[in-house]
Amino acid sequence: MALIMEQMPIVFRALNVGFLQTLKLFFVTLLGSLPLGLIIAFGSMSRFRPLKYFTKVVIWIVRGTPLMIQLLIIYYFPGLVLGKTIWGGGESGRFMAAAVSFIFNYACYFAEIYRGGIQSVPVGQQEAGLVLGMTRTQIFFRITLLQMIKRIVPPVSNEIITLVKDTSLARIIALQEIIWAGQAFMKGSQGISGAIWPLFFTAVYYLAFSGILTVLFGALERKLDFFR
Amino acid sequence: MKKRTMMLAAAGMMVALLGISAAAEESDLAYVQGNGKLVVGITDFEPMDYKDENGDWIGFDADLAKAFAQEIGVEVEFVEIDWDNKILELDSKTIDCVWNGMTLTDEVMSSMETSNAYCDNAQVVVLPSEKAGDYASVEDLADLNFAVEAGSAGEAEITALGYSATPVKAQSDALMEVAAGTSDAAVIDALMAGAMVGEGTGYADLTYTFGLNSEKYGVGFRKGSDLAAELNAFLVKSYEDGSLMKIAETYGVQASIIEQKAE
Repeated sequence: MALIMEQMPIVFRALNVGFLQTLKLFFVTLLGSLPLGLIIAFGSMSRFRPLKYFTKVVIWIVRGTPLMIQLLIIYYFPGLVLGKTIWGGGESGRFMAAAVSFIFNYACYFAEIYRGGIQSVPVGQQEAGLVLGMTRTQIFFRITLLQMIKRIVPPVSNEIITLVKDTSLARIIALQEIIWAGQAFMKGSQGISGAIWPLFFTAVYYLAFSGILTVLFGALERKLDFFR
Repeated sequence: MKKRTMMLAAAGMMVALLGISAAAEESDLAYVQGNGKLVVGITDFEPMDYKDENGDWIGFDADLAKAFAQEIGVEVEFVEIDWDNKILELDSKTIDCVWNGMTLTDEVMSSMETSNAYCDNAQVVVLPSEKAGDYASVEDLADLNFAVEAGSAGEAEITALGYSATPVKAQSDALMEVAAGTSDAAVIDALMAGAMVGEGTGYADLTYTFGLNSEKYGVGFRKGSDLAAELNAFLVKSYEDGSLMKIAETYGVQASIIEQKAE
């Protein structure tokens, strides 16, 4: 126990640095994938058939392969094929590759949730809008959007909480997120070697963060509860 | 019409790929010098590559890599990699070499361009201290379940002996298996065992016993790279002027250094 007390300051500093990287990947992914998902959702509902089928195939590929493989392909494939990496070897390059993989992957999941949300709004409302002489864009923004948002909050929050933990997959391309930082002490880092507890302790960070998110989404759901 | 555009596009891509692969034939030394930096793939591994209090990479391998980069006139950049992906990292040019106490196994030497061996090492068996006395020879170990790093020299040794081995992701994971009782014993590098096992470490209840083999460390470059020969010449030069041994003494590995002679 005394040994652990001694290790704590060094370990916490390293875990904080790792968790910052985790958070960075988390927020960048959300910022990119929430809007991109809407674009993909429109693509998959398009009345222009080639675009519709192309989008559906892309969604099938992205949802049908493990994110881990997507990370490996996106980070290593350009260098293997082009003979020069587009990401650069440093840590920023690894982060960019990870962010691109995560944004694309999560955008495809969000797209399907959005589509479900849009299609759950009764078609009669659109017809009513058309009768009143509204354009399709007006119908979407004035009638459909808010109802859709209200309906997708639970599945989206579910996906977002999964994302918190999925960020740990980025360690496959050696992005130094919190699990990587915790594991470093098992092998030996900054004078501490053979310490197992930092790895297990990373779970506390995830738990605290997903707890905060759960509370926030609960509040959001209640706020949107003013109409049924 | 559409078909023809598609075919044109496909042909264009083929030409582009061919052009690029032809450009890749150039000397690796020139490539690195063109970039102005040597990207060294490492893992956090005392005493070879590890961070000091300021977060800078030091260690026997790290200091030697810095000296080599200076010799060929480029900056050095250390990047932590997943050891399983080292060949992928080299081939996709996200790193230029792996320099991290790498054992020169047949697999390593066939998939990379390796330098001459510069350091001796052995694979040792790690056991819980209270059980270590029960095993006097390699034959006594036959019934044990071993945890070994996937693709490591330790795994090769255990497989060659025909004992049961559980491959894990890292040598440190192998130690955790033994500490947690999920495996009976682990096989890891002697240099690493010396730093991580026994009194005063996180694995005070473990101990390491006999070595299974002796092996040598080398540096790995992309297959066909001319940097390996460049490094060999540098190793000879720095061995002769004593600077290699001086770095070794800083990190206490001087007893393991292999003499470097010009071929």
